[in-house]
Amino acid sequence: MTVPGSAVGGLNLLHRLDARVKIVGLVGFAVVVVTTPPQAAWAFVLYALTLVFLAALARLSPLAVGKRLLVIVPFVVVVAIFLPFFHPEGRVLVEWGPLRVTDRGALIFWNTAAKAVLSTWGMIILGLTTSFPELVNGLSDLRMPRVFVLTLSFMHRYSRLFLEESQSMRRAMASRNYNPRWLGQVPALGKMLGALFLRSYSRGERVYVAMVSRGYEGTFALNGRRRLRATDLAFAVFILGAAAVIRIVVAAGGF
Amino acid sequence: MHIPDGFVDIPTAAVTGALSLGAVAWAVRKSSKESGDRTIPLLGVTAAFIFAAQMLNFPIAAGTSGHFLGGVLAAALLGPWIGSLAITIVVAVQALAMADGGITALGANVLNMAIIGVWAGYGLLVLLKKALPRNLISYLVALAVGSWFSIALAAAACAAELAVSGTIPLRNALPAMVSVHMVIGLGEALITVAVASAVLAARPDLVRSYDLPRESLARTGAPRTQRRVRFWSFVVSLFVVALALAVFISPFASSAPDGLESVAIKHGAEQMAAETPVWRFSPLPDYQLPGIESETLSTALAGLIGTAALFAVVVLAGRALGRRRTGQQAG
Repeated sequence: MTVPGSAVGGLNLLHRLDARVKIVGLVGFAVVVVTTPPQAAWAFVLYALTLVFLAALARLSPLAVGKRLLVIVPFVVVVAIFLPFFHPEGRVLVEWGPLRVTDRGALIFWNTAAKAVLSTWGMIILGLTTSFPELVNGLSDLRMPRVFVLTLSFMHRYSRLFLEESQSMRRAMASRNYNPRWLGQVPALGKMLGALFLRSYSRGERVYVAMVSRGYEGTFALNGRRRLRATDLAFAVFILGAAAVIRIVVAAGGF
Repeated sequence: MHIPDGFVDIPTAAVTGALSLGAVAWAVRKSSKESGDRTIPLLGVTAAFIFAAQMLNFPIAAGTSGHFLGGVLAAALLGPWIGSLAITIVVAVQALAMADGGITALGANVLNMAIIGVWAGYGLLVLLKKALPRNLISYLVALAVGSWFSIALAAAACAAELAVSGTIPLRNALPAMVSVHMVIGLGEALITVAVASAVLAARPDLVRSYDLPRESLARTGAPRTQRRVRFWSFVVSLFVVALALAVFISPFASSAPDGLESVAIKHGAEQMAAETPVWRFSPLPDYQLPGIESETLSTALAGLIGTAALFAVVVLAGRALGRRRTGQQAG
């Protein structure tokens, strides 16, 4: 089961980078990809090569990346299904009975699919090389509002606990030969989730009381800001530079 | 319903992002005023609960598992401000750490699920609570309708964003997205009601939107079979309502743009629309399946085929995944 923060720090170059440059670099990369006009197919190939290089640098297994890429499949499939039904103007590429795919329709499909794959891929690299506490620290260094930073760290602390609690409840049901799979058994699952809510709420109260008794007054001291190292800057220059150069060449009219 | 990058264009992403940012900032202010220094622990724990609940697949018919959203549940339990903030946090984590939902589409996703979804569902819950007689059953019905509606409306907002971005025309996207999510919403409604009644039975003081006296919760002592009958009649009536809505609303939804188009033709705007590039704004070009004269019919047919294909994919995928997971548990 995927839990945020499953990435382990300190494995290799990309893992050791400061989270700030990874967030800014990969989010910036995604934004540049999304603004690129779809006609420039070669640009998307170069973007993909950049990501291949990064993934190889981080030694990510292609299988792990591919598995996570599956989240975009439903949307791509929806666009593909409707492809024969709209954008009838333009040159017909494929005709199959009453259904036809035009070059404009195909362009829209290519546009969405390529951009979705590339920017999702970038975010997967971010997620797989950055542990959740690092991510939260990076966001806090990037001056994300404190409410969110603190809530995120609370959420990270408890989501794994609650997941394990819900799994152990599920296991308790299964070990009593009860495996709710049908509509009529929804109330049982509802009771389980209800119990989970009550447990989590009372845990929240307990934590709050414990914090107040230790002098909590609504603010936290967060870790101080770290200095960026040369490798961090090099990474930022590489990824943003690559994206910017490709994008500028596209804007200037291609090769 | 997590839109990936590339499916919303930059102007749409900017507008939805700005709207979400404003709404979230407002929610932060309101909830800190409401809960004081309790806000952060409460919010963190609620987000973690929603996150864990979303991981837990729940059964729909035929072994298909559904994706629980939990927005209206959180709003009903802890109030709409905390509810919408908790969903925002969950959606943001899914985009940043798990690549589920695009980063440029984050504004649109937050708007659909955390703002439109939560507030529409919660608003309907409050309205229905006023309109219906004050008792436990009406409260649960209001909760079911609210959470079902929140899913359908979030799907409609998603379709609208895709249409404005020029990815899928509204008359294809709207019927398909809304009809699929009308069914998914039934699961959401059932789970929401089941969880809320479980919490009501144990700690009614923790359900903030339930303002009836405690006596209304007393068990009637109905025998088990009678309770089961009541549960199933509840399920069946939900299905009937959803089907009725699907039959009456879908043709309206799919023919509405045609109405707009005819107005545009009358006012000579057709020329202008035809010159706009397709990926900027979709002018809904005339299209008919050859051999079928009625435009509404061919549009509806297109929507129907798309929906059926989507259903097949969803059911088959759910079956495969469900079987594998069950197998893992047994082994």
